[in-house]
Amino acid sequence: MKTKVYDVVIVGAGISGALVADQLKRKGRSVLILEAGLDEGLKPSSYQDYLEHFYTQEVKVPNSPYPNNPNAPQSNVLDIQKIEPGKPDVSGYYVQYGPLPFSSTNTRAVGGTTLHWLGICLRMLPNDFRMRSKYGYGVDWPLKYKDLKSYYEQAELEIGVSADVEDLWYPGTNASFFGKGYRFPMHKIPPSYLDQVLTRRLKGMIYYDQQDEVKIDVVSIPQGRNSIPNKHYIDPRTNKPYQPVSAVGHPHMGERCEGNSSCIPICPVQAKYNALKTLDKAVNGKGKGRVEVRTQCVVSRLEIDSDNGKIKGVIYQHYPGSHKERTAVGKCYVLAASAIENAKLMLASGAAKTSGQLGCNLMDHPYLLTWALMPDPVGPFRGPFSTSGIPSFRDGPFRKRHSAFRTDIGNWGWNFPTGAPFSDVQLMVDQHNLFGKELRNQLYNSVQKQFRFGFLIEQIPQTSNRVTIDPNHVDAMGNYRPVIYYNLSEYELAGFATAKSFSDQVFQRLGAAQFTSYAPSDPGFVQYEGMGYSFHGSGHIVGTHRMGNHAHDSVVSKTQKCWDHQNLYLVGCGSMPTIGTSNPTLTMAALALQASESIINDLR
Amino acid sequence: MKKVESPKDPQITTLESLYKHLQLAIEVEHFTIPPYLCALYSIKDDGRNRVAAELIQSVVMEEMLHMTLASNILLAVGGRPDLHHSNFIPTYPEHMPHSDKKFKVSLEKFSKSAIKTFMKIEKPETSKAKPEAHKYHTIAQFYDAVLEGLEYLCFTLGPDKVFTGKKHHQITNKYYYGGGGRVIPVIDLKSAMHAVEEIKEQGEGHIAGKSIYDGDHKYGQPREVAHYYRFNEILEGQFYAPRDKPKKKPSGETFKVHWNSVYRMRKNPKAGDYDPGSPIREKMDEFNRSYTKLLALLDKSFSGHPSALLEAVQLMYSLKYKAVALMKIPSGKGNTTVGPSFEFLPEST
Repeated sequence: MKTKVYDVVIVGAGISGALVADQLKRKGRSVLILEAGLDEGLKPSSYQDYLEHFYTQEVKVPNSPYPNNPNAPQSNVLDIQKIEPGKPDVSGYYVQYGPLPFSSTNTRAVGGTTLHWLGICLRMLPNDFRMRSKYGYGVDWPLKYKDLKSYYEQAELEIGVSADVEDLWYPGTNASFFGKGYRFPMHKIPPSYLDQVLTRRLKGMIYYDQQDEVKIDVVSIPQGRNSIPNKHYIDPRTNKPYQPVSAVGHPHMGERCEGNSSCIPICPVQAKYNALKTLDKAVNGKGKGRVEVRTQCVVSRLEIDSDNGKIKGVIYQHYPGSHKERTAVGKCYVLAASAIENAKLMLASGAAKTSGQLGCNLMDHPYLLTWALMPDPVGPFRGPFSTSGIPSFRDGPFRKRHSAFRTDIGNWGWNFPTGAPFSDVQLMVDQHNLFGKELRNQLYNSVQKQFRFGFLIEQIPQTSNRVTIDPNHVDAMGNYRPVIYYNLSEYELAGFATAKSFSDQVFQRLGAAQFTSYAPSDPGFVQYEGMGYSFHGSGHIVGTHRMGNHAHDSVVSKTQKCWDHQNLYLVGCGSMPTIGTSNPTLTMAALALQASESIINDLR
Repeated sequence: MKKVESPKDPQITTLESLYKHLQLAIEVEHFTIPPYLCALYSIKDDGRNRVAAELIQSVVMEEMLHMTLASNILLAVGGRPDLHHSNFIPTYPEHMPHSDKKFKVSLEKFSKSAIKTFMKIEKPETSKAKPEAHKYHTIAQFYDAVLEGLEYLCFTLGPDKVFTGKKHHQITNKYYYGGGGRVIPVIDLKSAMHAVEEIKEQGEGHIAGKSIYDGDHKYGQPREVAHYYRFNEILEGQFYAPRDKPKKKPSGETFKVHWNSVYRMRKNPKAGDYDPGSPIREKMDEFNRSYTKLLALLDKSFSGHPSALLEAVQLMYSLKYKAVALMKIPSGKGNTTVGPSFEFLPEST
């Protein structure tokens, strides 16, 4: 039988793969997407299965709606534990050498990690692209902010972002950041009551970071979730006003965020964007080309032409069944399987060896929590996870001394730090022997005053933080499990110290009672200048195949084309040279749209 | 623009009569909502009747859209919808308002007989049926009469004298969403005709009686079968296949309907069945007060304050929880439960 040759073979049906496929389809190209996970989600009834699975789970972590699949295993935050020196933690999917645990996870299923993402859509700031030349840390990007600006706009349309430009302010930017007359497709998600309280109470606050004055502002967060369409926004694809995209297969559902307050791990109505929407459009929508999604196909490696370095085929196994190796062939190839899986596949193929950077520079936003009881009720556990933040520490001269960070104002009380409100019920019933009216009153009194900050600390790339492979660690199908080395540097730890000190000042100003505590037994416990801190993962898996200007120090070019293999693109967060303080999905989407143009040019 | 022709023998010939009939249209659309909601909320949340629940829910949402579209037409012709008065909610069991009184509709749990009643409500018009403003047999006949009235008035008075409503009073997609399709702002005869077509087709099918589809693809919606056929799918436990004909049974994918996985709500409960001050009565009153408040908010939204819809939507969620709670309370009569009674109960009483 003659093997079909596709224009493009994409590995991974997450947001990057879906966006690239959709763009190629519009240009009349034939695309095959190979996805390791199940097709759950593309059919409306199976999305419902995720929901029901989620309802039955006792602990609601990011991957709890999405069952682990032994053929395409995935990481789970419940597997994260302290790592004993010299002894790797092999209890989860990752093989963790540490010394600190890498605590972020992704989802291996159609739709990828956008199934459980939060939906925050922040652009990176201009100075994020020149960290080395401006602040002496990390590296500069081969791109400037203005090179990406139009792709950010396109990404905001494809995802469907809700925000009002006039509300937004970020340090180190001016009016040209969005440009004159720019609008988002939909109006902002209304700020929570807590946001309004903080806006009022923190007005005019200045924090002194050594000699630098940091002006504190509460600013709403652009979100990839449906809201009231902005009637002045004209959709360039249709020349009509923007129409929110409803749930896949459910035309009546999800046209607005309903405040179900379970964005992570799953939006029950799909008002939150997920890549299923783009895939649905790519597979079933208009367009001259053809997109085929083949699920339960686990790619193990790439076949490389030893003469010219070009990729000849993608080798995969299908399950259930014989696990026989099959080959998919295209004119061009795209790996869009997440930073960790992309690196793993490249290493397994013996590919991209020139720079020595493949698998290196793994980054995340180490996430520091602080929590307190407010003097008055603030109405937590309503609306999306976070609707406003404090961007004041996202850029400034202090980046010469410590990490920049973004401050999340959490709308769900102490849910993240303590498991509230369930833990409160348990405590009051089991330990305080309360019941009936007294229980209700006490619960109301404590739960309604719960408040927490989350700090996303910028991590600087280091070659020693990396993903590698080891023949001793393989999964059920014989594919490599990711072997991870991960640590934090003093730069990030100093960022923790500043974030905590800032948080202390805010709590004091609010008259809030501090309840933050970090225990040496926490998996992410670290010490710095005599103080202890515990960090979590943000789910932002970045680095591993950084982009750059030269083949000797980067894996891909600024269009994400692999220097060593001219018909191969590595797309996704793996290409980002630094992480900045933005949740990375919007940047990843912008980069995928930019790569699509380059792929379309290559195919001409 | 196409010249408006006068219909031959219209039954609606004055603006007052048009207002009255459009108000009636709103009441007819609303009439179906409490019975459909009772069937929907009686389905237990155990996932076993997921498909049936989704089908009923999609119909209810389209009825809400129809109510909104009828209000938009009434607003456009200078009238004012009235949703907040004691006669607005029917006393079930009841005939459809102004119908030929062939059957009564009850508030009852999800069952085969309830679905059969719903199919009578949504029965497609036959091609022979004439527009009928008074004792109509199908809802489409009634809307045809409204449409003829509109055409007649535009012809006799001129469109400027008919479409005198304020544009900013129209409900647009700014506040209306997810409810069964695109809301159409009505500003002239053309948009009024669009609105009426949308109502008729969703209910009975595009080219009634000749196609199972509702014609929604014209409005940027995926293909869906019309209400009558959606209810028939539940009865048969089988979806229609794309080429199925209206008179034949569905031949598509099958699904299970668990007629017993349902709260046994008693038929047509009334708050008056329970003593004032009793816990059940208090819960029923609480539901009725909320439902009445919802009507008051809709009334406000449809009379020049469209933004009141935002608050109304929040109330719809809390109503659902209150209704489901009532579905679970034993009624004291046999093995049935209470269920919501949908009675007019303003805040002040």
